[in-house]
Amino acid sequence: MIKFERFVLENGLKVLFHKDETTPLAVVNTLYDVGARDEDENRTGFAHLFEHLMFGGSVNIPDFDAPLQKAGGESNAYTSNDVTNYYDIIPAVNIETALWLESDRMLSLAFTEKSLETQRSVVMEEFKQRYLNQPYGDVWLELRPLAYEVHPYKWATIGKELKHIEEATMSEVKSFFKKHYNPSNAILCIAGNFELEYIKSLVEKWFKDIPSGIKPPRILPKEENQTVYKEKTIERKVPSDAFYYAFKMPERKSLDYYIVDVLSDALGRDKSSRLYISLQKEQKLVSEVHAYITGSLDNGLLIIEGKLSEGVDFGQLDKALWEVLHSISNNELSIKELNRLKNKIRTAKEFQEQGLLNRTMNLAYFELLGDANGINEEALLYEAIEPSHIQTVANEILVPTNCSLLKVKAI
Amino acid sequence: MMNRNTPPTLQKINEIQFVNPTIFPLNDVVNLYWMKEVLDETTRIEFHFNAGSIRSKEKVAGLVNQLLFSGTSQKSSIQINEELDSLGAFLDYEVGQEIAIVSLYCLRENAGKVIDIVYDAITNVSFHEEEVKDLIREKKHQFLVASEKVNVLARRAFQKHLFANSPAYSNQIKLEDYDTMKISDFKKFHSEYYLKGLVKVLVVGNVSSVTIDHLKALSKNWLSSETLSFLTSFENEKGHFHVEKEDSVQTAIRIGRPLFNKLHSDFIDFQITQTILGDYFGSRLMSNIREDKGYTYGIGSGVSESNATGYFIIATEVGKEFVDLTLKEIQKELKKLQEELVDESELELVKNYLLGQLLKSADGPNAMMDLFMGVQLHKLTFDYYNKVIQRVHAISSEDIRLIAQKYFNWEDLTIVTAGSSNA
Repeated sequence: MIKFERFVLENGLKVLFHKDETTPLAVVNTLYDVGARDEDENRTGFAHLFEHLMFGGSVNIPDFDAPLQKAGGESNAYTSNDVTNYYDIIPAVNIETALWLESDRMLSLAFTEKSLETQRSVVMEEFKQRYLNQPYGDVWLELRPLAYEVHPYKWATIGKELKHIEEATMSEVKSFFKKHYNPSNAILCIAGNFELEYIKSLVEKWFKDIPSGIKPPRILPKEENQTVYKEKTIERKVPSDAFYYAFKMPERKSLDYYIVDVLSDALGRDKSSRLYISLQKEQKLVSEVHAYITGSLDNGLLIIEGKLSEGVDFGQLDKALWEVLHSISNNELSIKELNRLKNKIRTAKEFQEQGLLNRTMNLAYFELLGDANGINEEALLYEAIEPSHIQTVANEILVPTNCSLLKVKAI
Repeated sequence: MMNRNTPPTLQKINEIQFVNPTIFPLNDVVNLYWMKEVLDETTRIEFHFNAGSIRSKEKVAGLVNQLLFSGTSQKSSIQINEELDSLGAFLDYEVGQEIAIVSLYCLRENAGKVIDIVYDAITNVSFHEEEVKDLIREKKHQFLVASEKVNVLARRAFQKHLFANSPAYSNQIKLEDYDTMKISDFKKFHSEYYLKGLVKVLVVGNVSSVTIDHLKALSKNWLSSETLSFLTSFENEKGHFHVEKEDSVQTAIRIGRPLFNKLHSDFIDFQITQTILGDYFGSRLMSNIREDKGYTYGIGSGVSESNATGYFIIATEVGKEFVDLTLKEIQKELKKLQEELVDESELELVKNYLLGQLLKSADGPNAMMDLFMGVQLHKLTFDYYNKVIQRVHAISSEDIRLIAQKYFNWEDLTIVTAGSSNA
C-alpha cells in the first residue's frame, strides 16, 4: 500500500504528497501532460527538444542545475510519446530549493538563443548516438510508421528526422511552452519525511501565483482498427537478420491492457517463456527472442522481436513463430503457468516500489490515468486474470490482420 | 509579490546515519554479510566467486559464468529456469576482471526454496554439450553485434593499452576463441574457481535466521581458503591509439591512466577533483563540451577501483567531425585545473553536491549494503565516510590544484578513439 494525500491549487495544479519516514531524501516530480504524440507532423522531436530547454534557465533563475547541486540535489527528465516527466532528488532539508526551481520554470523559461542553439546540437548528437550509430538503432524509426497509419505514434520521440530539430525556431519553442507548460496541464508529486501541512504551505507559497493556463484539448487522428497484414523489409549493415512483429493492443486504461501484458510475458519475457523455449532452445532458429508491450496511453503495440540464427531464413522463423502463437490462442494456460507469470510480476513490483523515485513517478503517472490510487489497485487487476481471459485476448490480437512485420536483412 | 530571485536558505549535510550489516565468518577469509533492516518483502542474495577473467588463460571465465544454470545430470536448464521463475525469482550473473557474481532477487517467502535450486544448479552443473553449443552460438552473435559499436571498440582498446604490461588484465576474448574452447576447460575452471572459490555472500532482506543458517551451511561447501593475489600496480601505454570503424557518425573517446584505490592517501582529494572535472552534470567537461559546444550527448569521468589498485577514465561519444576539437578541449580543461584555482562558489557547490550524493548512496538497505561493501573491500569500515565528510568540508582550492598537477598530465595518459577517420 502506497499512501498519499491529494490537494488541488486554485490554478488547477494537482498535487500529490507521499510521506516516507525512512529516508533523508526527498523527490519532487513534475509530470506534464504533453508528449511526442502532441507534435505537429512537420515539427517532430519537439517535446523532447523542449525537455532539454527546460534545463536552460527560467525567467528568474538563469541556471537551473547549479542551485540544485548546491543544495545537494540532482535532476533528470524523460520524454515519451505520451508525457514529459521531470524529477529532482534532494536532501529533504532542502526541499524548498527544488520547489522554487520547479515553480519558476513552470512560470516561464529564459528562452535564450544560446540555449536553443546548444540543445539543438546536443539532441542531434543524441539522435546519432542512440539511433544512427548503433546496429539495429533505427528500427523504431521504421517500425512506427509501418504499424501506425495516421496516429502520431507513427513517429518516435526523438523525431522523424534530424532536419525537424535543425529547423526549430525560437517562436515555435515559445508557443509550445505557452500551450503545454502550465498548472492546468501538470501533476506535481512530492515524497519524503514531511508533514502534509508543511508541504501544502510550501507548494502554495511557490506555485499559487502561476497563471493556470488552459489545459489544451487533445484531438488526435484516430487510428482505425487494422484489417490487413503489413510487412516491410529493410537492409542494414548488421551481423544477422532480425524480425519485429508488432500487434495492435488496447489502450492503457483498458482492463485488457493488463491481460495483454501477461500474454506478452507468457510469450517472451524470460527463459521460461514459450517463444524462448520453442524458437531458441528447442528449434535453435534464433539467437535471441523477446516479447513486450510498448505501454502507451493510446492503443499500443505488443512486440515480438529477435535475431535469426545463421542459415535460418525468415520463412522458417515465421512458420514456427505462428505455431507458438496459435498454440497460445487455442489452448488455455495452465494455472501453474499463470501463477508463474503472476509471481514474477509481484516480485518485480515489490522491488520497484522500494525506490522513492519510482513510487513518486508512478503516483504522478497513475494520477494522469485518472487516480493515483491505481498504483495500489493494479496488483489486484493482475491477480484477477484467469487463463480464459488470456485466451480470448490472444485470439483477438495475435492474428495476421492485426500484425505489422518489419524484417531487417543483413547485408 | 513573490521574490523568485533569492534562493531558499540551505541546510548543510554534516552527518549521515550508517547501518552496518551483521557479519558471519564462514571461515578465516570468507564472510556472509546480512542487512536485515528491510521493511518490505524483497530479498537480494549475492554470491561472489574468485572466478574473474584474470583467472582464466583460456578465456572461459565469461562462458562458465553464463553456463552455471545450464543444467545438471538430473535437471535441464529449462527445468531450472521454470522452477526459479515459478517462485518469481530473477537471476543476474556477471563477470569482471577480479570477481564473478551471481545475484538472486525474490520475495522473502520464497528465499529458502530459491537458494536450494541455485545451490544445486551451480554445484552440479554438468556442462551438457548441447547447452554449451547453444551458448557459444549466442555469444558469438552478441560479440558480432557488440563489435559494431564504437563504445565497445573503444573500451576494448582502452583496456588493452591501459593494462599494457599485465596480460591477465589486458587480454580479451576474440571471435576465434569461441571455436577453440573445450568443455574440459569449463569443468576445470568451474571446479577450481566456483566450487572452491566463494569469497563473499551478501543478503539484503528481512529473512528468517533459519534461512540464514541454511545459507551459511550450503555456502560452506564452496569456500575459498586462500588469500588471493591481485594486480597492485601497472603501467599503461601512453599516447593516442585509434581504432578504425567504417561508416560511423560518432567517435567514442576513452582517456585514462593507472591510479589507486581508497587506501591511497590521495584518493579522497582525487575523487573531489575529478568530480569537478567531469563527474556531475555541471562539471568542467559537461559545461564545456556538451552545454557550451554541443559536441556530445554526454561526457564524464570516474574512478574505477579494484582490490589492490584502480584507474581513472574520461569517456564520451562525439560527432565524428568534433573529435580533434574535443580532445583539445579535454586537454585544455585538465590544464586549467593544474594552473588556475577553482573559485569559492564552484568549490562550495561541488562540496554540497558530493555530500548530497553520499546521502543518496546510503539511502535504503540495498544502497547501504553496497556502500558498506565498497569499504569492506579494502578492510575499512563506515568510519571511512566520516573521514570523507570531514575532508569534503576541509579541502581547499590549492589542494585541488596540487592533485591536478600530480595526476592530470596529458603525457601520462592513454588516449583511445574509435570511429571513422575519413571526413
